[in-house]
Amino acid sequence: MAAWLSLSLILIPWLGALLVWRTGDAAPTRQHALAVAFSLAAGVAALVLVPLASPLVVFTLPMGAFFGELTLVSDGLSTVLAAIACMVGALAVIFSVDYMRGETQLGRYYTFVLLFIGAMCGLVLSGSLLFLFFFWEITALCSYALISFYNDDPRAVAGGVKALIITQVGGIGLLAGALAVFASTGSYQIADLLAKAPQIAPGLMSVVAFGFLAAAAAKSAQFPFHTWLPDAMEAPTPVSALIHAATMVNAGVYLLARFYPAFAPIPGWTFAVMLVGLASALITAFMALTAMDLKRALAYSTVSQLGYMVYAIGAGGVFASQFHLLSHAVFKALLFLAAGAVIHGVGTRDMRQMGGLGARMPLVRVVFVIGALALAGLPFFNGFWSKELILEEGLKHTPWWAYGGMLLGAGLTAFYTLRMTWMVFFGAARSERHAHDAGMAMKVALVALAAGTLLTWLAVGGFSGLMEESLPYHQIHALGLPGLVEEILLAPATYGALGVMALGLALGWLLRGRAGVSPPALVEGLSRTSFGFDWLNGHTARGVHHLAALLQKTQTGQMNWNLFGIMAALAAVLLVLWWSAP
Amino acid sequence: MTPLDIVLLVAVLLLGVAFYGLLITRNLIKMVVVLQLLVKGVVLALVLAGNVGGRAALGHSIAVTVIVADTVVAVVALALAVQVRLRFGTLDIPGISSLKG
Repeated sequence: MAAWLSLSLILIPWLGALLVWRTGDAAPTRQHALAVAFSLAAGVAALVLVPLASPLVVFTLPMGAFFGELTLVSDGLSTVLAAIACMVGALAVIFSVDYMRGETQLGRYYTFVLLFIGAMCGLVLSGSLLFLFFFWEITALCSYALISFYNDDPRAVAGGVKALIITQVGGIGLLAGALAVFASTGSYQIADLLAKAPQIAPGLMSVVAFGFLAAAAAKSAQFPFHTWLPDAMEAPTPVSALIHAATMVNAGVYLLARFYPAFAPIPGWTFAVMLVGLASALITAFMALTAMDLKRALAYSTVSQLGYMVYAIGAGGVFASQFHLLSHAVFKALLFLAAGAVIHGVGTRDMRQMGGLGARMPLVRVVFVIGALALAGLPFFNGFWSKELILEEGLKHTPWWAYGGMLLGAGLTAFYTLRMTWMVFFGAARSERHAHDAGMAMKVALVALAAGTLLTWLAVGGFSGLMEESLPYHQIHALGLPGLVEEILLAPATYGALGVMALGLALGWLLRGRAGVSPPALVEGLSRTSFGFDWLNGHTARGVHHLAALLQKTQTGQMNWNLFGIMAALAAVLLVLWWSAP
Repeated sequence: MTPLDIVLLVAVLLLGVAFYGLLITRNLIKMVVVLQLLVKGVVLALVLAGNVGGRAALGHSIAVTVIVADTVVAVVALALAVQVRLRFGTLDIPGISSLKG
């Protein structure tokens, strides 16, 4: 049963992708219907799979000596992530029925969305490192293709290429780590790695651990790779909600959580993870303060919240990170989709041209405020419980300055969330743009996600119980709902954190009238250049260009040289074989 | 000097001549001829290796396989040369360097 369900989570969306593609753009109604049907089917299958979680390999397919076995493992970690991918995927597809109506190339759009959903399920369910890498790269490809969906817009194409290149850099770390593991244990199976981790040479293990950290940071847009996610906002908004808020960017956090038991003993690794999370959370929270583009502001806050999850793993709170991942996936998908409804209604992403939209789209305002309160971490939304759980882990297991930094981040989050909400929905309208309300399909998706934002924290008992039972190496202790409520509400740290958030909100309230005004030049300059990291990216790209120009000289186009090169390389390989022969 | 040494010497000589030819040949047809020389050196070495290693039959059979594959390569290469002559109007290699970076 679990075997077929796990397999179907990959194959149902992929079959749907194939059918939508074959349907052709001449029949958009059928394309919408097929995409919704297949994504909903995958969502239902994913929900059925969650309670069946077990640490065992449920499906094995031998792929030959070189690739090892393709195995699927549906444990507590993977089933919950697959369920998030399929459910948010289904809601994003439903939302797209309104949002993408009238687009001419729906086939390309839905094909990549469905391909992505299947690949994301494969990524989390795969029990083999090598196939995890393959699915990892398929998600990167879909992300690139969908960011560049409006391929006559140069900024969309540039954003897609940037995302692809930066995540590929991390992918190299993942592949190198996987090959090093194979060289040492003779197996690509993740379970083997976790079991044999103490016997692997520490030097090799730290290469693997830091390689995976680089891969995770690139995928989750963490410091120092955080520059690609804001530029990815050229994608259609349902894609931003699905890929760049709720699922693909979580793959990095998933990777760190999955291998935490093997990597935690390596000196400096947890500290490095904590630093990456802290730096990402703070830098992007500052950048969100000044963003004028609604989607970019949300993207900065995504990086910042992912920073909280990474920080939690650095503090040893694997469950806290996954709990926040669940909360964040739901409320950030809600925020993005609500933002999509606004952008679709108003026709711009610039918050300076919005204001007072609540009167014309009341439902969107209500759900956006629900999402915003969860993002700010106010009780009793799902974001409150998970963020407080992370801060509590941080207080117990990380230095005081790191905890203080994360508290500051929570205050900044409250501030920029209020600023963003106010600029869009409240106050006086700042432009004469005509705004129309969201469509029916949009409202269905928004209400479902809003309900999730209010309710997902109630699942804490089941979620942590599943993780305790099905993750033998992680030593997670089940935390029931009463336990969670007691732990959070009785801890003095909670009220300290709430105080900081209240300060942020108060500051936001005082400055609400100046929301459209440009911030001080220094803050504005730092944000616009991603704290100098765009400069670094630019120079790296120019360096590569320069190197390529040098290497170009070897491309003479002369057949003699090419043939000679081939022969010389063959001779070199033969010589190496000869020398290394026993 | 044993007969084996002589065969080895000839094989190495063929390879050397062919490598030199690869660098200096300017005509596509002659390039195919030079590649044939190279492969003949390889075939000789294969037969020799089979004899020295005590598995003469294996060496022979691989040599025959290489000859067959190589003939196909030569035919395709000559056909391509005809096409190149039709497209570019020349068989001179420096004149057909459109792959220059």
